[in-house]
Amino acid sequence: MMNLQQPLLQINNVKKYYPIKGGILQRVQGHVKAVEDVTIDVYEGETLGIVGESGCGKSTFGRAVLRLEPLTEGSIVFKGQEIGTLSDRKLKAFKREMQMIFQDPYASLNPRQRVGDALEEAFIIHTSLSKKERKEKVLNLLDEVGLKAEHYDRYPHEFSGGQRQRIGIARAISLNPSFIVCDEAVSALDVSVQAQVIKLLKDLQEKHQLTYMFISHDLGVVRHISDRVLVMYLGNTAELAPADRIYDNPLHPYTKALLSAIPRPVPGRKRNRVKLEGDLPNPANPPKGCSFHTRCPLATVRCKEERPIWREVEENHFVACHEV
Amino acid sequence: MPASEAVATQSKLGKQTEGKQKVIVVTLKKLLKNRLAVFGLFIIFIQILMAVFAPWITHYSPVTQSLVNSELPVGSENHWLGTDNYGRDMWSRIVFGARISLVVGLVSVILGLTGGIALGLISGYFRKLDGWIMRFVDLLFAFPGILLAMLIIAMLGTSLVNVMIAISIWSIPTCARIVRGSVLSVKKQEYIVAMKSLGAGNSRILIKHILPNCMAPIIVFATMRMATAILSTSALSFLGLGAQPPTPEWGAMIAAGQDYMWTSPHMTIVPGIAIMLVVFAFNVLGDGLRDALDPNMDLG
Repeated sequence: MMNLQQPLLQINNVKKYYPIKGGILQRVQGHVKAVEDVTIDVYEGETLGIVGESGCGKSTFGRAVLRLEPLTEGSIVFKGQEIGTLSDRKLKAFKREMQMIFQDPYASLNPRQRVGDALEEAFIIHTSLSKKERKEKVLNLLDEVGLKAEHYDRYPHEFSGGQRQRIGIARAISLNPSFIVCDEAVSALDVSVQAQVIKLLKDLQEKHQLTYMFISHDLGVVRHISDRVLVMYLGNTAELAPADRIYDNPLHPYTKALLSAIPRPVPGRKRNRVKLEGDLPNPANPPKGCSFHTRCPLATVRCKEERPIWREVEENHFVACHEV
Repeated sequence: MPASEAVATQSKLGKQTEGKQKVIVVTLKKLLKNRLAVFGLFIIFIQILMAVFAPWITHYSPVTQSLVNSELPVGSENHWLGTDNYGRDMWSRIVFGARISLVVGLVSVILGLTGGIALGLISGYFRKLDGWIMRFVDLLFAFPGILLAMLIIAMLGTSLVNVMIAISIWSIPTCARIVRGSVLSVKKQEYIVAMKSLGAGNSRILIKHILPNCMAPIIVFATMRMATAILSTSALSFLGLGAQPPTPEWGAMIAAGQDYMWTSPHMTIVPGIAIMLVVFAFNVLGDGLRDALDPNMDLG
């Protein structure tokens, strides 16, 4: 499925800082470094999973890639064109190509808008289709995500969580995008509904040649759906490898700790639990050197001083760690 | 529909049947359970009837004088609310006065809302303009309301139209604040981000997605503001700044009746009761609406 030759999206040194303002004059006193230097290529047709604990910048990264937030620094090249610095007006054409599925299916739909109207919005904004043509398109969309034509006239609160997420998916694929960011797309759903929505996402991917960036904290789900997995820690990339390799042979000590936290279905079996001490450091004031050194079991003096470089230790397996 | 989702839907079925009704119906049902609000609605309904059918409910002109019949008391033959010092039928003047107070209230509230909503939307949505607009609003707030209105009338001249303008300007700052507050909370919602990711423009997001979700506080404000507007019109007319004689405006009628307080108290009491009832009605309706439009209610 995955085509390693052609990057659909080249993300280079993307940074996203949020200013912290304070005092009477609202001066900038510092920055929350939500995303600190991420470089990665996304290939056409693949699913790139992004994992990390809460506050590691994975959602912000997803939003920054879609240019829902202006970048602080860095470049994003989509299908050969730089979009990191495009103005909002020029960006509109690219919004057709890049879409997002949101975490909370309850919050991501306008409660005052019928489902049909909500799905028509995309066609009103980007096409000049007539009312009738738009309705036809929307009915097709509803069918495609497993909803019925009778749902066209209903309000969002009349649906279950899973159905709402299907509406969110329909909205995301309505303009035939090539790239979709799924930000915790199934985290708010029951496990059984999760499986159905993941299956729908996979079916749609096959049918429309979609490329996914699948952001989640659920390591099991990510393994199931992803071709490659990126581990993030405090706005930095920690490790990137094909899904099976990262789960079977994690190299970065943070990845090891994350994976050892997955509950095992076999009771009583011993496992080597890597426990992390302390909390995530404050992203407004990240530690010097390797951002993980404060909690890392392998940390040395070098880790406190020098930031590890992002390097390819084996084919398609990138790590940022001095000790690997 | 897959099986487990069907189960989820089943459990929501009770809610669903209710959900199929429109928000308006749900709100109205809640409102009609509130007795005071129903009373308010009833008074307002009567006022609207009086305003619309004024020439048909009374066969006396509100302005033609008939000195033979001057200062007839309440309960007189042919003039059940009596007459004033020029012999004009009080009932007829109250009925036509209802028309004036309703029109002045509506126009000034609509004008004020338009300005306030526009300022509030822009201020809440565009952070760069927020500071400037809010300082301007603070400036308007710095004047006591009735003083601000008097100042505007002093500049524009005394007339009912200028009273409407003055009252609408006075409504702008409060309305702008209320709208801005709602916009600030609504714009953080994920469905707004979703619209941005679809590529929707700012004006589309503001008008189609943010404004409809800010309507509840606006409706309550508009209702309460009707009461204030009607009361202020009467107050300004009482002071001689609004409606000029012989216009049958309630406040002006009270002012005219002042001199006859001892001989014909009904000349001040009747329009006074009219003002009181209408202002009370709009206030209790506003209260009822606020309860009925509870933000925690499952709006559809």
